[in-house]
Amino acid sequence: MISVPGVEFFTVLVTYIIIFLIITLSYNLAYGYTGIPDFGRAMAAGAGGFLCGYLPGRLMARVLGIQEDYLENVILIVDRINRELEKNPALSIGLLVLTLLLAALAAGALGLLASLPIFRGIRLFYLGVTLLSIQISFNTIVYHWEPIIRGEHGVPVPDPFGWLPPGPMRSIGVIATSAIVLVIVGYYCISVGRSPLGRLLKAVRDDERSAEALGRDVRKLYVKVMVISYAFSGVAGALFAFYQGYVIGLHFERVTWTFWPIAMVILGGLASNKGTVIGTIVFITLKRLILFYKADLEAFLPFSPVWLDGVLLGIILILLLIYNPRGLLPEKPEITISREDIERIREDVSKVL
Amino acid sequence: MSMSATLALAKTNVPNFAVATFGTIGIYITFSCIKLLGIGLYPSLLFCFVGGGLVGVLTYIFVIRPLRRRGATSEEIMIATLALDIFLIAMLNIYADYLTRKYKIMARDFTLSAYDFSIFGLDGVFVVSTSVFLAVLVVLHLIFTKTNLGIAMKAIGENPSLAECDGVNTEFLYIITWFIVGALPALAGAFFPVYWMSNPTTSMFVVVTVFSGCVLGGFTTIYDAAVGGYIVAIAQTALVSYLSNVVGTWILSYGFLIPLLIMIVTIFVFPEGLRSLSLDRLLRSSRYILTRLEGFR
Repeated sequence: MISVPGVEFFTVLVTYIIIFLIITLSYNLAYGYTGIPDFGRAMAAGAGGFLCGYLPGRLMARVLGIQEDYLENVILIVDRINRELEKNPALSIGLLVLTLLLAALAAGALGLLASLPIFRGIRLFYLGVTLLSIQISFNTIVYHWEPIIRGEHGVPVPDPFGWLPPGPMRSIGVIATSAIVLVIVGYYCISVGRSPLGRLLKAVRDDERSAEALGRDVRKLYVKVMVISYAFSGVAGALFAFYQGYVIGLHFERVTWTFWPIAMVILGGLASNKGTVIGTIVFITLKRLILFYKADLEAFLPFSPVWLDGVLLGIILILLLIYNPRGLLPEKPEITISREDIERIREDVSKVL
Repeated sequence: MSMSATLALAKTNVPNFAVATFGTIGIYITFSCIKLLGIGLYPSLLFCFVGGGLVGVLTYIFVIRPLRRRGATSEEIMIATLALDIFLIAMLNIYADYLTRKYKIMARDFTLSAYDFSIFGLDGVFVVSTSVFLAVLVVLHLIFTKTNLGIAMKAIGENPSLAECDGVNTEFLYIITWFIVGALPALAGAFFPVYWMSNPTTSMFVVVTVFSGCVLGGFTTIYDAAVGGYIVAIAQTALVSYLSNVVGTWILSYGFLIPLLIMIVTIFVFPEGLRSLSLDRLLRSSRYILTRLEGFR
């Protein structure tokens, strides 16, 4: 008998969609609008996520005057912190906001570091290779270096939503917080898309040299985009860590946090925020459905269904690049003045002629 | 593997991010030859070469060629090879699951050191891999310099349209090139499980070293890539082994930082790679450092 998704499936789905929308909209800013082949996006989300495992717990332990070794007694300490946070909603919200801000700062700083090779004027291919290598190294360091988040064992993350009644209210709390962040990120991305800055980014993407010839500092622009885009992704990583309640060194790997977002952006359409939303919803739903039906599929597959994730991603991405590279909602040509004005000017010109 | 990635970029203008996973395919071909067919470690090299080559050709036919015909940008081709990488890793995982369930053999975290031999106190893998490496280098050198095929390959690397106008069958040459691009890493991958634990995601740990070798070589010729690859691999192995004696074995987990460091230094100091470092420039730099040291004394 085939399982039918319940309410829990849909709350998880909505949470994932919102968190990944923050990632994909920010990725669209870097790749769709500016043309930076950023293969290190997982590092940005990881910066925020791992910071959640590292900082708020230690900070709260200090505030509560806990003297024991944090990592050795992490489960007990975080449990005590959670009990304190349950009693104090203001402290919980303060901790949440502070962590999200610090996650944005940490990821933004990482974005600055990651974009340094751009200052050397290296080819975009070299940038892709470098970012991919740095991202793999970043994840491996977090995985092996126990003092950060106990590597493969991981650490629990303090729960800033614990003051909400248990059950669906907690999920609603996470969804509402993520939705607020998404609105801010979405508003920024849409505004950039409609502004002269958005047109400049597209100009740089289409012809870097022409933009430079017109007096634009292209490299500085690349760095700015990377920093902002990484900061947004860092916040998404932090939200994911809070939602999961636990972070391990294996989280924020490249397939889920770099390549899936690339596929989502390409499916929707480069430099198309609406398209990115559609791409994200389609891919996340597909991914969650595979996980949901994992047990059903396992019965008649000679392998674990989790690998279908990679098979589908690879095939869909290649087919999209071959047959529909502009995505479901292709980028529209930029019209800087209204259609009526264009018509009026045309009429005036034809009268004169 | 560095030679393969350089060859793909220099001759077909394709940045191949799946190169390390082509190596993992080699690992599983060897593993299957030994465990399922009872073929020895070194005879299975032939199967690796052919199997890897076929994967390379299929990659060209089903991924690269359609993208080229559509006029895809370099970034799009780059992303396509990344997608291929994910697809191949997933397929290798499926294959490993299948081997475990069907034949009850441990197809993850295995080594094949038991199938190696020893000669004059040296490990067989050292002797064979070095011989194969030198043989490949000599054969490729002869192909690229002494045969019409090699010269035509050089031509398509520089200007494919002009080469086509001159009557060169570019399609055939691309297929040959992609056969080599697939065969070389698979051949290299066959040696990997003799020393190191292998599984379908092995490429993740090798890819940084491979690209570091390519960057150091400057992504220009296979000779530079060979030298770059050798320098990076030796630096990684020797330094990690030295440091593990000095500071402890925990450093072994961070060995990949050495190729990353070499890559970053190369990109920032001499982005054109080893080729941009002339002997004269190196001598002048060494002389300058020695004079400064004398001054300090």
